[in-house]
Amino acid sequence: MPLSVLLPLVGVGIIGIAVMLHVLGLSRAAQLPDEVAAKAAWLREFPDHTPTRVILSHDHHAALIETDDGPGVVWAMGADTTARALSGARIRRTAKGLRIDLPDFTAPHIHLRLDPDEAAHWPTYMKDSA
Amino acid sequence: MSDMITFPDVVNWAVPFFIAAILAELLWIVIKGRGGRYETRDALTSLLMGAGNVASGIVLGFVAYGFFMALWAITPLDLGTSFWTIALCFVLDDLRYYWVHRFGHRIRWVWASHVNHHSSQHYNLTTALRQTWTGTFTFMMVMRAPLVLMGFHPGMVLFVGGLNLIYQFWIHTEAISRLPRWFEAVMNTPSHHRVHHGRNPRYLDCNYAGVFIIWDKLFGTFVPELDSEKVDYGLVHNLGTFNPLRVAFHEWVGIYRDATQPGLGWRERLNYCVMPPGWSHDGSRSTSLDIKARYVSQYPDSAGSPGLPYTEIKGQNTRP
Repeated sequence: MPLSVLLPLVGVGIIGIAVMLHVLGLSRAAQLPDEVAAKAAWLREFPDHTPTRVILSHDHHAALIETDDGPGVVWAMGADTTARALSGARIRRTAKGLRIDLPDFTAPHIHLRLDPDEAAHWPTYMKDSA
Repeated sequence: MSDMITFPDVVNWAVPFFIAAILAELLWIVIKGRGGRYETRDALTSLLMGAGNVASGIVLGFVAYGFFMALWAITPLDLGTSFWTIALCFVLDDLRYYWVHRFGHRIRWVWASHVNHHSSQHYNLTTALRQTWTGTFTFMMVMRAPLVLMGFHPGMVLFVGGLNLIYQFWIHTEAISRLPRWFEAVMNTPSHHRVHHGRNPRYLDCNYAGVFIIWDKLFGTFVPELDSEKVDYGLVHNLGTFNPLRVAFHEWVGIYRDATQPGLGWRERLNYCVMPPGWSHDGSRSTSLDIKARYVSQYPDSAGSPGLPYTEIKGQNTRP
């Protein structure tokens, strides 16, 4: 297939599918209904690090996890979730919550949408349990 | 030697079909409310990985093709271009695919290229297009060398490889549950390949087939999809980014960081490149065998069931 046909076809196809998915409401971020769900999401990534405490964000899109091995966070990755331990993390306040920078090429920046009270307290938990 | 033979670039010609099939699957899921899941950023990343794969083929394809043409120039054999030659080439290339794919899961250097195909937590037709940008750097092109030396024209070898890739597109779906028994027995199917994309301990490192599932049955790597255990898609440690550049290169960066850390001997540095994913010099990480063994130790009743070892001893898979 000539590139003059292939490139526009690929471009229009990708943009068209992405727009259609968004219009169909398929861009919604995953929600963690309760602490049990947040714990399960954490254990899905770290089955050997049982949470000792789970703090769910007000919008249910993230959770702070405490374990005997240190703190971690679970957050929405599209319609699913992932999790990371917070060793080596740099935590900063942002207008919408917190930004966590990790020395991890696969999760370098985690943006958590938190209310002001959560954004003020979560860094303390993260440091206290580290 | 028939140097001037040309075969169509079937993968590029299949692009309109890929787009139409994705739209059809999406509409099926939305209308029926079952048969899989779609999410915008996940699908967009998969599609961009597919576009990048095509681009890398255009930019780097000359490396493999030059290698094959050099082999074609020295081989005294020429099997021609009859239908049965092409059919035989297709079957032998599928055997080649099985081993390249198996190496892709058991040798970290090759996994670094293949891992991005498994990096989605979804399983739909866009996942099929989440293809590597770095396949050339695995040097797995050498696995096609025997076919060329046996007298299959390089253009034909790449043609049947393209057909193999197109076949594998449609099996990346949850919309099809099971197919007739005779078909499931011989061919790779959505059910068999769902298992391959699973991160459940029992589903790790199995069902490497491209077109014919018989290779897995022959070489002992077949695991059936169990109704009692739903497939959990993705990586053992799922990514925290949708950035295609990070998806494409993250394992290469991981290898570099591991192999260049201070205090290691040359053998340990080499092992970080060639041992199975999850290997570490201090045993602080887990390979798929470790994960399976740990699962069996936690759930002893599962020992010896499909995809799991008979004993909980790391790396062993023997009957008690």
